[in-house]
Amino acid sequence: MKIDPDKCTSCLSCIPYCPMNCIAEGDDGTAIDEDECVDCGVCRNVEVCPEEAIYMPAEAFEYPRAIRMQFSDPSVQHPNLKAWGRGTEEAKTNDVTGKFGKGDYGMLFEFGRPGTGARFREIEKITTAICAMGIDILEDNPISGLIADKTTGTIRPEFRDEKILSAILEIRIDDSQLAAVVDKVIPLLDDVDTVVSVGLVSRFDDNDELPVIGALRSLGITPRPNAKINVGLGRPIVE
Amino acid sequence: MSHSLHRFGKPEDLKNDFCIYSRAAKGINRDDCGDKLRRTLEIYLKNDVVNFGSSHAGRNYLSGLKPDEYAKTLDNSYGIIATFADRNAVKGVLAQLKEVALGISVVVSGLIDEVKQIAYEVGLRPHTALLSLGIYGKRSLLPADDVLAVTTMCGHSLVSAALAREVIDKVKKGKLTPEQGARTLARPCPCGIFNTKRCAELLEKQRSTAQ
Repeated sequence: MKIDPDKCTSCLSCIPYCPMNCIAEGDDGTAIDEDECVDCGVCRNVEVCPEEAIYMPAEAFEYPRAIRMQFSDPSVQHPNLKAWGRGTEEAKTNDVTGKFGKGDYGMLFEFGRPGTGARFREIEKITTAICAMGIDILEDNPISGLIADKTTGTIRPEFRDEKILSAILEIRIDDSQLAAVVDKVIPLLDDVDTVVSVGLVSRFDDNDELPVIGALRSLGITPRPNAKINVGLGRPIVE
Repeated sequence: MSHSLHRFGKPEDLKNDFCIYSRAAKGINRDDCGDKLRRTLEIYLKNDVVNFGSSHAGRNYLSGLKPDEYAKTLDNSYGIIATFADRNAVKGVLAQLKEVALGISVVVSGLIDEVKQIAYEVGLRPHTALLSLGIYGKRSLLPADDVLAVTTMCGHSLVSAALAREVIDKVKKGKLTPEQGARTLARPCPCGIFNTKRCAELLEKQRSTAQ
């Protein structure tokens, strides 16, 4: 994003709206730190600028910078997937797709959420660790298209320094892999220079319970009390 | 997939915070699902919906998205999301969605036990859950818990910590009512999953504590 200095009156109205806190008043007026900006478009979209001075510059659409808006502005589609959003939809529609059976888990590592943003070089620390464990990164996910080598998990070098609002790394594991992922991957998150929100997809059992909660507790993780629950209204349903 | 998952707060503050997603699956029931989504929108609107929105339209219901105009765009969509602030509304939506049997998937975010209980009350059983395992990494970058409770109501992180702090400060000083503050904070979230009722309650608590 950029601010047109000829239009800006330095009213400062836009400053608090920036999710990356990268708009500031300087000697030459109010400006956006282009390296920290993730091109989410909030400063323009909330229409607080009385002079309409904020705009998306042409260079924001150029490769590789364009990746920023694809991971930051929810109205922008991922061109490799022809889809919006940051991840796949397995949990939302699992009652009809059955992609996750009982004893299967999906794990989601969302880098940069909440509210800190992330650079792909930080995400690469975990994609490489997961691939070293012999676990594949899910296809149909925006990150998978940025990986140069699917056996090592390395990110294409031109994207490593690009900053985005958030991105979800998704993997599929089963019961036998849960402890290894928790023991090996979770501690590695302490070494990334951003925050990571972690989620887990699991089927309810025949008693409408989630056995994975007990398994996680035994591994030292207590899930939060709120969750997203598919209530089984899709048809034809996969039992 | 994680949109409304990581809403932060104490269980008592999350008790009346629900989002309902209706989503058609690629290759199964996505073709020509516009009419089903329009029917879903009608049901949402009849059941005390707090907010909904469209990232494509760039605005939410509370910021001026017109339901009729939004409904026309649903032929180009495969899902619809809305926010609710009490269990009776959620129960009403689920009961009516069950009755009309549209056949597309429905996901409710909220406290696990509460969502399960509401589902039972309308004759549904939970199928799959997406759990939040918390926030890891460089937690020193996070704002204070009261700010995080506000900002995490936008799943795309479009509501900034700076704006939350500014609004909290204005509410404490009486420059904004909690409801006005909540509307201001909801504006950057085009999907409409920012729960203004819960936010106003959080802001009211802040104001009361400050007095």
